[in-house]
Amino acid sequence: MAAPTATTMRLPVAARIAGGRLGRWAPPLLLAIPLCVAAAAVEGIHAGFPAGWYLGVPRWFDGLNNWVTQNDSTNFFLHTIVSGFGNILNGATNDVVNLLHWMTWVGVLAAATVFAWIVGTWRTALFSALVICSFGVLQIPNGGPNGISQMWPSAMTTLALMTVAIVLSTIVGIPLGIASAIWPTVSRTLQPVLDLMQILPAFAYLVPIVVLFSIGNPAGIVATFIYAVPPLVRFTELGIRSVKKDVIEAAESFGSTRSQLLRNVQLPLAAQAIMLGLNQVIMMALSIVVIASLIGAGGLGDPVLNALQTQQIGEGAVAGLLIVLMAMWLDRSSAAFGQRAARDRAASGRTLTRRQLAGLCGAVLAVILVAHYGLALGDWPAGFGFSFVDQATTALNWVTNAFTGIAGPLSSFLTLHVLNPLQRWFGDVPWFIVAALVGTVGWARGGWRRGVLLAGCVVLLGLMQAPNGYTFQGTTSYNFVAWSDAMETLSLVVVALALDLVVGIPLGIAAYRWRAVDRVLRPILDFLQTLPAFVYLIPVVTLFGVGNVAGVSASLIYALPAAVRATTLGLRAVQHDVIEAGQAFGSTRWQLLFKVELPIARPYLMLAVNQTILLVMAEVVVAGLVGAGGLGLDVVTGFSRSEVGLGAAAGLAMVLMGIVLDRLSQSNPDRGRVATS
Amino acid sequence: MASSETQVSCRDVWKVFGPNAAKVIESGDVDLPRAELMAKTGCTVAARDISFDVRRGEVFVVMGLSGSGKSTLVRCVTRLIEPTSGAIELCGRDVLGAQPKELRELRRTKVAMVFQHFGLFPHRRVIDNVAYGLEVQGIDRDTRYRRARELLGVVGLAPVEASYPDQLSGGMQQRVGLARALAVDPEVLIFDEAFSALDPLIRREMQDEVLRLQERLQKTVIFVTHDLDEALKLGDRIAIMKDGRFVQVGTPAEIVGAPADDYVREFVRDVPRGKVLTAAFATQPHGGEMPDEVVRHDQRLGELLPVVFGAKGPIGVVDGSGELVGILDRRMVVHVLAGREEPSVPEELPA
Repeated sequence: MAAPTATTMRLPVAARIAGGRLGRWAPPLLLAIPLCVAAAAVEGIHAGFPAGWYLGVPRWFDGLNNWVTQNDSTNFFLHTIVSGFGNILNGATNDVVNLLHWMTWVGVLAAATVFAWIVGTWRTALFSALVICSFGVLQIPNGGPNGISQMWPSAMTTLALMTVAIVLSTIVGIPLGIASAIWPTVSRTLQPVLDLMQILPAFAYLVPIVVLFSIGNPAGIVATFIYAVPPLVRFTELGIRSVKKDVIEAAESFGSTRSQLLRNVQLPLAAQAIMLGLNQVIMMALSIVVIASLIGAGGLGDPVLNALQTQQIGEGAVAGLLIVLMAMWLDRSSAAFGQRAARDRAASGRTLTRRQLAGLCGAVLAVILVAHYGLALGDWPAGFGFSFVDQATTALNWVTNAFTGIAGPLSSFLTLHVLNPLQRWFGDVPWFIVAALVGTVGWARGGWRRGVLLAGCVVLLGLMQAPNGYTFQGTTSYNFVAWSDAMETLSLVVVALALDLVVGIPLGIAAYRWRAVDRVLRPILDFLQTLPAFVYLIPVVTLFGVGNVAGVSASLIYALPAAVRATTLGLRAVQHDVIEAGQAFGSTRWQLLFKVELPIARPYLMLAVNQTILLVMAEVVVAGLVGAGGLGLDVVTGFSRSEVGLGAAAGLAMVLMGIVLDRLSQSNPDRGRVATS
Repeated sequence: MASSETQVSCRDVWKVFGPNAAKVIESGDVDLPRAELMAKTGCTVAARDISFDVRRGEVFVVMGLSGSGKSTLVRCVTRLIEPTSGAIELCGRDVLGAQPKELRELRRTKVAMVFQHFGLFPHRRVIDNVAYGLEVQGIDRDTRYRRARELLGVVGLAPVEASYPDQLSGGMQQRVGLARALAVDPEVLIFDEAFSALDPLIRREMQDEVLRLQERLQKTVIFVTHDLDEALKLGDRIAIMKDGRFVQVGTPAEIVGAPADDYVREFVRDVPRGKVLTAAFATQPHGGEMPDEVVRHDQRLGELLPVVFGAKGPIGVVDGSGELVGILDRRMVVHVLAGREEPSVPEELPA
């Protein structure tokens, strides 16, 4: 961005191009342009992807599903390993549910409160107690979805599902993290897998999981596990690796064995990072409960899903609120648990002796026993609460009415003048132009390998489609044009991303620049970031009804905090002495911002773009639940009509699209993702 | 010195970082200049053919600028860094041939290290830090706490045993590091730039502490530093290291009084010579009778100035047993102290 100096001015143009930024674009363009011309000459210029080109992916999955259904009881792998594992998960979930019911509502309340008090402050404890009570107090009337009148059993089921998914993630994630920290080979092998798991929207792997585990709790737990485990592995590895080298050396110099080193030094020092990872697992697990309900996991997700699908927003809002409360409760309790080690070490605050701890646990146990055997209590009594649905519906209706004057015209404007034209425009571009474009950008930013890989992904995405008039065994028949669905998804992503950046980056700058803005923004962003993805769907559906606009607005809000945060973070990371140097030369505040701080923060801004794209994409896909079109809707349709091939092929198309969008927005191929949480 | 007294012995130790390090040594490429070697083989040499012995109870200082390879060298002694070739003996045991179990045993009982950035375990209380070496040996809790308290008393930190390291000042933290090293009662202590991170005043305090402890405990010490004053103050012998090589090994007086080359000379140029050089450096052989005025051969020239310029007649120099070994040459004293002329150590005199 610096003005060209005298030397560079005098260089011949070609040399300047080859040596400068343009040089990176020349080789891919030189390859891509002739290829495009050749493709146009052979194939002619038509919109989109040729209908006759397909791999038959839907048929594979339909066939696989068929085979699994037929061999479920005879095949060793399916019968013993998959079903066996499923049964274990199911059994564990039932055990936890039964335990929670056996504890009675008083016991659950006591246990949660005392735990929160031990790890946190009295405020954590009070908050926990209030949340547990809200599970019982907020009810929905008889005749609600699934005939549920009380939310308590659903909440306990969700809690049990979370517990099993979290335990599974811990059992797998922490050892994997330790192994990657110790053996570089393991780390190198796991990295791309974890990368992929984090790029993938959960929707992408729902169908294969259901094919294997069939609808039910185990499928929900496995989906949750896949979605939630990567941060735990990453944090564990990072935690162990960031133990200072001199501390390790000291331990070695005293003759510690490797296991002593791990137990005495590395794990204790990584404990806080691991707890942070666990906290993330919990939050991610909660954010997927509704999606898991789509594949038969019960609990609080069910009424939300039902409400979204039947437009009974009031009931969905109550269940959604409870999930949010559960998220906040678990977030605070687990975060407090994580900070405990640090606080103990600083020897400030309250620390309990072992005897006091034992006493508290004994007291909780006594409460549970008395409640169960003495008072014969059970679940939260129906009388202690009230139906909250009418209030919720009223509130939502009020919002709808109040904003309908804005929301209606805004919605139709967005649909008619932004989304539809964009979608049409994307759809009209011949496939080879898209592939060439993606390949060129990929090459210029990350080397020729990346360019070729990404162009390949684009072609592969087109090949996911089902042929015209596809039928399977005469019973199943559907249309699936992966290309045009992907272009619809892309148009939604582009709009939400653009709005996010236009709003998010200035907000991030403002939060950096003015403390007051930061003070106001921080709790809001904190709150928004604890909300599970689907929660955003409830208000937007109220406002905009089902459809693309709802999808775009939900994605916009969902990804906004990340855009703001990454911007602020990047600006804060600019070293103080550099800023001082800028000031010393008499820069104005704005000169400093645009000439020093923003350029230095550029990697973070790129990261903001990258993260925002991934989040937007994840939410746009989830918004298939509320009728936002494209690949997400394909998955939802695949479920509702048991069209396995459709759902799975659309899932694969999402994987490809996710990889393309992620790699295009990552400028440096070597740099891993910075943890911004 | 009798070889039975040798506690640490290094023979022809090489450490080359990079691919095919062993081959690089054999091929002779190691003699190339640093940049050329890097370009040709991708290797850097941290220790070149180093040999030295440290006797029981001796303080052996390895001194050099950063990047000279001194920290790498002392890590080779306990194989915290694996040497490329050579032979190392620690308390009569072959270090390089030791199996992992044997090596752990050596590290647990024979040698302990004090680190530049302390290397304290931030998640353990002071007492658990000090007890760490005993803990990994499997010694029971009461015994190791008793021993740890004893050592904390020695370094004057008994009141803070329940604190965590980050609650202590830098000097206190390094006392914990020192206590931790002493707790296992090692025969050899290795200090790796142990006081470099401390403020000058605290540093001097810690040096005095080491001298005090050394007088009492008589450990074998290898002390790595880049601070010449520290080296002169603590070292019985000093090895000056440059580019992975020992350029000179000798007593402080030898290093200052008879630098082996220009590099060492440049190093010691600003040393207050009177505080380091002894009467032996300005002594002329003399067979005559005992003069009225006599000084001991190992007295520092600085302290002798009043005598040198106060006495009327010749000044005799006697050795430890009172034998006359020569007379102090006044002209030579001036030259030696001014560093103008190359003084030579008379061979028959212990310097």
